[in-house]
Amino acid sequence: MTQFLQYTLQGLAAGGFYALAALGLAVIFGVLGVVNFSHGACYMLGAMISALLLQHFGLGFWPALVIVPVIMFVIGVLVERLLVQWLLKLDPLYNFLLTFGLTLLTVDIMKRQFGVSSLKYEVPAGLTGRVSFGSVDLSVYQMFAAAFAVLVCLAVWMILTKTRVGMIVRAATEDPERSRALGINVARWVTPVFGFGIALAGLSGVLAAPYRAINADMGTNFIIILFAIVVIGGLGSILGAVVAGFLVGLVEAYGQGYYGQLSQVLIFVLMAAVVLIRPAGLFGREEAA
Amino acid sequence: MSDALLTVDSLSAFYGEAQALRDVSLDVAAGEVVTLVGRNGAGKTTLLRSIMGLHKGTRGSVTLDGTSLDGKSADKRARLGLGWVPDDRGIYATLTVAENLALPPVVDKAAAWSLEQIYEQFPVLHERRDFPGTKLSGGEQQMLAMARPLRAGSRLLLLDEPSEGLAPVIVNQIGQIIRDIKAQGVAVLLVEQNVKFASTVADRHNLLAQGEVVESLDNAEFQTRTTDLLEHLGM
Amino acid sequence: MRHTKMISLAALVASSGLVLSACGSSAGGGPSSDGGKISDDKVVLGLLNDQSGVYKDLSGPNSKVAIQMAIDDYKAKYGDKAVAKKIEIVMADHQNKPDIANSKAQEMYDRDKADIILDVPTSSAGLAVATQAKAKKKVYINIGAGTTALTGAQCNKYTFHWAYDTAMLAAGTAGGIVEGGGKNWSIVYPDYAFGQDMNKSFTAAVEKADGKVQQSIATPFPNDNFATFITKAESSKPDVMGIMAAGGDLVNFVKQFNQAGLQGKTQLAVGLMFITDIHSLGVDQFQGTQFTDAWYWNFDDQNRKWADRFQEKTQTRPSFAHAGNYSAALNYLEAIQAAGTDDADAVVKELEGKKINDVFLRNGEVRAADHNVTHDVYLAEVKSKAEVKEDWDYEKIVKTIPAANAYAAPSGTCTM
Repeated sequence: MTQFLQYTLQGLAAGGFYALAALGLAVIFGVLGVVNFSHGACYMLGAMISALLLQHFGLGFWPALVIVPVIMFVIGVLVERLLVQWLLKLDPLYNFLLTFGLTLLTVDIMKRQFGVSSLKYEVPAGLTGRVSFGSVDLSVYQMFAAAFAVLVCLAVWMILTKTRVGMIVRAATEDPERSRALGINVARWVTPVFGFGIALAGLSGVLAAPYRAINADMGTNFIIILFAIVVIGGLGSILGAVVAGFLVGLVEAYGQGYYGQLSQVLIFVLMAAVVLIRPAGLFGREEAA
Repeated sequence: MSDALLTVDSLSAFYGEAQALRDVSLDVAAGEVVTLVGRNGAGKTTLLRSIMGLHKGTRGSVTLDGTSLDGKSADKRARLGLGWVPDDRGIYATLTVAENLALPPVVDKAAAWSLEQIYEQFPVLHERRDFPGTKLSGGEQQMLAMARPLRAGSRLLLLDEPSEGLAPVIVNQIGQIIRDIKAQGVAVLLVEQNVKFASTVADRHNLLAQGEVVESLDNAEFQTRTTDLLEHLGM
Repeated sequence: MRHTKMISLAALVASSGLVLSACGSSAGGGPSSDGGKISDDKVVLGLLNDQSGVYKDLSGPNSKVAIQMAIDDYKAKYGDKAVAKKIEIVMADHQNKPDIANSKAQEMYDRDKADIILDVPTSSAGLAVATQAKAKKKVYINIGAGTTALTGAQCNKYTFHWAYDTAMLAAGTAGGIVEGGGKNWSIVYPDYAFGQDMNKSFTAAVEKADGKVQQSIATPFPNDNFATFITKAESSKPDVMGIMAAGGDLVNFVKQFNQAGLQGKTQLAVGLMFITDIHSLGVDQFQGTQFTDAWYWNFDDQNRKWADRFQEKTQTRPSFAHAGNYSAALNYLEAIQAAGTDDADAVVKELEGKKINDVFLRNGEVRAADHNVTHDVYLAEVKSKAEVKEDWDYEKIVKTIPAANAYAAPSGTCTM
C-alpha cells in the first residue's frame, strides 16, 4: 500500500509537469490548427537556454523562469510571422512538415554548437531535499515543479475562461472563419497565441533542467509522449491536455512500479484504447476529429 | 438607389473553374427585409458568403452604406455593420450562451441592443445564459444566432435559412422576431427555401436560379404568383 | 592450441590463394610484389569514429592527435631504420551507425588503402567493421566499443579489442565493490541489447564475488523519467544501486537518483561511464559514484607526462580512448617494424601473444586465442568538488584490478 501511494505521488508529480508541457501544444493546435512537431525542440531550447544563461551570465533558475519564456515567445512570434503563417491556409500536413523540419534543424544546430553531452545544471538552492507525507515522500524540487506547473495551467485556464481574450481565443479555436464573420480579427490573435504556446514549451524546459539531462536530444523522445497526451486528451482541448497529462504521469509511474520496461508501452496502450472508444480523445469535440 | 443600405453590383463568384454566381445585382434598404429564394445549389449561400467576404473567388462590388467592402476581410465587414447568421447557426460549443452573445465586438454603440433588451426579447436566453451554447435546442440556437449581431449593433443581418429544421410553432416565433428586428430599423437579407414563411416576413424577393437573379418582385406580387414561381424555379 | 594454429595456418594458405586470384584484375590492393615490404610504399592508419555525436568528446577528432603522437614516437625511436617511412592518417565519421561504419570501412580499406582501422566506438558499428576487416584481410583494432562479441562469436583473425569490454567493466566494478563490502545490489538497466548484456555480466560478476542481486529492473529505452524505477530499486534497501544506462539516460537517472535523496546513502555504481560524462555534468552530480576506468590520465607520473603532451596539442586532457588509440597505433607500427612488412598476416602474427607495458597497457597481453587485449584496469570513484584540484581531476582510484581478475578467460565461442 505504501508503495502504491508512493507511486501515485510520483505519478502526480510527473503528471503536473506533463500537463504544462502538453498545454502549449494543445493551445497551438486549438487556435492555429497546427500540429507543432517542434514542441519537443522548443522544450529542449528552454532547458538549453537555462543552462547557457547559468554558464555565461551566472543567471540561475529563478531568473531563467522569467527570461526563457520571454525569449521563447519572441522565437515563436518570429517563426509564426516568417514561416508558419504562409502555410496556414494549406493542408495542416504542410505545417506539420515545416515544424518537423525546424526540429531537425534546431537539434542539429544545437548539437553542432554545444555537442551532445549533457550541460550542467543544478537544483536551485532551497528546493533540495525531500519532503515526507506520512509513509511516502517526494523530492522538494519535484513537488515544486508539479505545483508550479499546475499553477501555470490554472492561470492559463483562468485567462481562457474568465477574460475576453480567453473567450476570443476559445471562439477562434472552435471556428476561425465564423469568428472572423462575427467581427473578430483572428489573424491578430494567431501570432501571440503561437508565441505563447512556444513560451509554455520553453517554460517546461526550464522546469526540466534541474532533474533531466540537458542536451540537444532531450526533446526527441519527449515529443512522442506529448503527442500521446494531446491525443488522449483530445487535440486542441486545453482541459484534455491537463487531465491526460496527469493520467499519463500516473500510468507511467504504475508502469514503472509494476510492469518495468512496459511503462512507456502502457502510455500508448492507453492512447490506443482512448482513440478506439473516443476517436476525438477524452475532451475532444467529435467534429474536430 | 441612393438610399440603399447594401448594394450588390454585378457580383460573380467562382469555385475554381465553375461559376456559382453570374452578375448578381440587388440592394437592401435600411429597415427592409429582402429575400433570396431558390432551390438548393442556386447560389444563395454563396451569395451571402460573398457579401460577408468569406468566399475567395469573387468579382463585382459590394457597398454598405456608401462604403465599398471590396477587398475587405470578413472581420472588417462585420465591424462595418454586417451581421452574420449562418445556416448552421454558428453557436460556439466552448462558449456559454452569455459569452456567445458577448463575443462579437460592438460596432455601433447607439444601435447595439443592451443585454437587458436581448433578454427581454429572448427570455429563454436569459434562463440558459450559463449553459454551453450548443446545449440549447435548435430554435433557441437560432434565436441566439440572431440575437448575437443585434447585441453588436449590426445594421444588416445576413440570415441563412432560419426556419430550416424547426417546428412550425418555432418558425412562427422566428418570423415574429424578424418583424421585430425590422421594426427596430435593422435590415435583413434573408435566404429561404420556405416560400410561405418568406412571404410572411419580407418586403421584396429575389428569385435565384443557377447563380442568376431571374426575377425581383415585391411581396404582394410574390404572394399572388407563388405557385407559378415555384414551378418556374423547380421547387 | 596447436590445433587452432594449424587450422588458422590452413585457412591462411587457402585465403591467400583467394586473395591472389581476386587481385588478378586490379592493380592495387594486394601486397606489393617486392618481397612484401610496405604496400603502396606507405602505411595508412584509418581512424573511424564518432566525429559529431555522443562519443565526439570521448574519442573523436582528438584521437587523430593521439595517433599522430604514436607516429612521431615511432619515427623518433627508429629514425632511418624505420620500416614504415611514410605514414599517413585518414579519418572518417561513422555517426555511430553500423551501415555508415560498414561503408566507410570499405572505403578506407579499398580507396584510401588503409592498412589498419582504429577505434570505432558503438558496438554495432564496431562489429560491422570487424566483418569488413575479415573480408578484406586487413588489421582492425577496436578501442571505443564495449561488446564482448568482438572477441567472442564474431571474432576474427584481423580484429583486436584493445581497451575494454562489458565483461571487464562488470568484473571491475561489481567485483571491486562487492569486495569492498557492497554485497546487496539493485540493478537498473535499459531493455535493449547493450543493457541486457550489461545486466547479465554484472549479475554474474556480483554473484561470483559472493554478492547478491536483489532486483534487476528493466526500463524502456530511451527514457527520461526514472523516479519510480529508483523508488522501486531502493525498496529492497540495497547497499549498491547499479545503473546500466548510458548517455542522456544515465544523466537523467543520476539527477533523479540524487533528488531521491540517495546520494551518499546508497552506493551508486555505473556500468559504463567515461570521464567526459563527469566533465559535462560536473562532479557534484556524480560525486561518490563508482565505475571502472580502463585508464586515467592522472593515475601516475607516466600517464601524467603523456597527458601533458596531449594537452599541449589539444588544450584538453585525454580520455582512456585517446590513450588507447595511441597505444594501439604505436604497437601496430612496432609490429610492422618487427615483421619488416605491413602485410596484415605478418603483423597479426607479431601482435598475437605479445606482452606489452606502455603508457596505456599495464601488464598488457594481446591474447592469441581471442585477440582480447587484457591489462590492469581501475575501480574509480568520482571526487567531491572540494577534492578537485584542477580541470579533469575527477577520479580517485579506489583499487587497481589486475588483468587476470578483470578479464574473463577466452569464451570458447571464438574461432578464428
